[in-house]
Amino acid sequence: MPLDTSSYSLALLRLDGRRWNELRRIHAQISTQAAVDGSSYLEMGNTKIICTVTGPAEGRRVGGGGSGGEATIQVEISVAGFSGVDRKKSGRGDRRIFELSYTIEQAVQTTLHTQNYSGSTISINLHVLTQDGSLLAALINAATLALIDAGVPMSDYLCACTAGSTTNTASSKGAPRPQAALPGLSSLDEEADDPLLDLNGLEEQELPFLTVGTLGASEKVVVCIMETRVQATRLEEMLAVGVDGCKRVRSIMDSVVRDHGKRMVDEG
Amino acid sequence: MPISILPPAPAPSISYGADPSDSDDDFDLDGDIDMEGTSRGLKRPRTSQRHIVTPGELVTDDTQWMRGHGAYHPPDSTAIHSSVFGTILKTNKLLSIIPLRARYTPEIGDLVIGRIIEVQQRRWKVEVAAPLLASLPLSGINLPGGALRRRTAVDELNIRNFFTEGDLLVAEVQSVYESGQATLHTRSTKYGKLRNGFFMSVSGAGGGGLARKGGIARSRRQVFTLSTGRGGGDIDVILGVNGFIWIAKHVKPKMEEGPNRLEESVSMDVYSSQNNDIGVETRREIARVAGVIRALVEGGRRVDEEMVVKAYEVSLEMEEGMDVEGGDFLGGEKGRRVVEAVMSG
Repeated sequence: MPLDTSSYSLALLRLDGRRWNELRRIHAQISTQAAVDGSSYLEMGNTKIICTVTGPAEGRRVGGGGSGGEATIQVEISVAGFSGVDRKKSGRGDRRIFELSYTIEQAVQTTLHTQNYSGSTISINLHVLTQDGSLLAALINAATLALIDAGVPMSDYLCACTAGSTTNTASSKGAPRPQAALPGLSSLDEEADDPLLDLNGLEEQELPFLTVGTLGASEKVVVCIMETRVQATRLEEMLAVGVDGCKRVRSIMDSVVRDHGKRMVDEG
Repeated sequence: MPISILPPAPAPSISYGADPSDSDDDFDLDGDIDMEGTSRGLKRPRTSQRHIVTPGELVTDDTQWMRGHGAYHPPDSTAIHSSVFGTILKTNKLLSIIPLRARYTPEIGDLVIGRIIEVQQRRWKVEVAAPLLASLPLSGINLPGGALRRRTAVDELNIRNFFTEGDLLVAEVQSVYESGQATLHTRSTKYGKLRNGFFMSVSGAGGGGLARKGGIARSRRQVFTLSTGRGGGDIDVILGVNGFIWIAKHVKPKMEEGPNRLEESVSMDVYSSQNNDIGVETRREIARVAGVIRALVEGGRRVDEEMVVKAYEVSLEMEEGMDVEGGDFLGGEKGRRVVEAVMSG
C-alpha cells in the first residue's frame, strides 16, 4: 500500500505533520550510567536507544597476538522484544542485526583514533528500547555520544540520519493529479517527488530510503546503506538531503555534549 | 537545489535545569577559540577551565602551537583540532586537551590498586582499569624470608602463594611501555596485598590527571589513616590513582625495629589472605567512609584526603544531630547535604 501521497502533496506535510526537510525531535543525554566508561541515551522521534561503552580495556585475545596496532571494536546490539509494533523474540543470530553491528563497527573504526590502544578492546553495547524508523542512524548517533563520554579520541562526530523519496505513483503513471487542475498549485507538481528527511517507521515501510552517516559537518560520507530500490536519478537528491540532515544532527549532538560539559565544569 | 534543513519542532522542555538561553553563546564551530594568555610567557601549565571543546572542533590554526594529547591534525592541514571532549591545557607552546572523562592512563610513580587477573610463569597480570592489563613481575615483589634475596625457581613454582587470581593489591607503577602497558612493583612495606577492608571503584584520574570532577585526583598523599569516632578505631584509606579505593582497618605492623629491620621483616603473613577480626564498630565506620566517598563522587567532587576527612567529620556531626537507628545510609538527599556542608565549611 503506497503512502497516501495526496494528503502529503496538498499540505506538504507528512503523516506526522513534519515538512519534507524537518527532523524529528532529538533528545539525548550522556553519562547516564556510572558503572561504565561511557554511556548515552538517545531519542530520535520514537526510536529510543541506550548505549554503553566499556574500554579501551584488555579483552580476551581473539586469535593470535591481536597486536595489529589498533584497538578492536566490538559492537553488540540487543533489540528489546517490546521495541517494535509486534512482540518479537530476539533471534540470536539475526542477520539484520549482524549487518547493523558490522556497519557500525566499520564506521566507528574509521572515526576513532585507536593507534594508541593496540591490544585493547572497545566494546559498544547498544540496546534498542523502541524502534520507529531510522534505527541504524539512531544507533550510530548513540554510539558516537557514548564514545565521546568515554573519552576515546576520534576525529569528529559520526552522525547519521535517513533520507527517503516519495514515490509519486500518480505522476509516473501519467494519471491526472488532484491539484493539477488548480493553476496556482502547478508549481507544487515539480516537488511532487520530494526527498524526505528522517523517516519514521511508517514511512520507512513504504518509501525507498537510505541511511547516510557523515564525519562531522564535513561532507565526508562514512556510512551509506540502502536496502530498497529507487530510481537512480533520485539518489543524488536523497543523498544531498541526508548529508545536510547529518550536519543538523551534529549541531544538536554537539549542543548536548556542550551542555553536559558546562554542567560538569560548573559543578566542580 | 538549495537545501535547508529545518530543526525539529521544539519539544516540551524536559531538560534538567539547564537554561536554554545560554546554550549557544559559545557555540561557534567555525570560529577560533579565544587563546587568552598567549601573549605572556607562561611558565606553568594552564587550563582554560571554562572553555569546553568537543571532538572535531578547530582549536587553532596558528602554526606556533604544538599538538599534544587529545588533539590532531587533519590529513592535509596544519590546524589543530580537538579529538576528545574536554578542556584545553596549555604548557608553553604545547596544546593538549584534557578529557572530562576518560579511562585511567598509567604514569610512572602512580599509586594504584589492582586485582590479579591471571597468574603466569614469572609474573602476574593485574587489572588496574587501564586500557591494558598491568604486569607485576615476580622480581617486583618483596619475597619473604630475609633481606631482598634473589628469586629462585622455588618461588616460581610457589607463585600462587604470594598472589593468586582475584587478590587485591596496592602497588606503584614502575614503568610504562610504549603500548601503554604498565609494570608494577610492590617493593616497599607500603605496598602489598590488601586485607581487612572494603573495595570500591570510582572514576580515576583519566587523561591528563589534573583535578577532574567526581573522581580521584593525583595528590601528595594517596594513603592516609583516619581516626574514627564511635569506637571505630583507626581506618586506612588508600585512594588508588586509577579510581580504585581500599578502606580497611588499620593494623599496626608487628615489628618496629628501625628502618633497616623493616625490610627484613617481610614474612609470609604479608601474603596471607586471612582477615583479622574486625569489630562491628569498625565495620560501621568503614561503611561510613565508603558512603561519604560515594556521596562526594555523586556530587561531582574531587576525592582526596582533605575532602574525605572533612566529609567524614560532617557526616559524624550529622549523625549526632539525629539519633535515628539505621541512619547510616549516606545516599540521596543525605549525601547531597553532606557534600554541601563540606563545600560551605
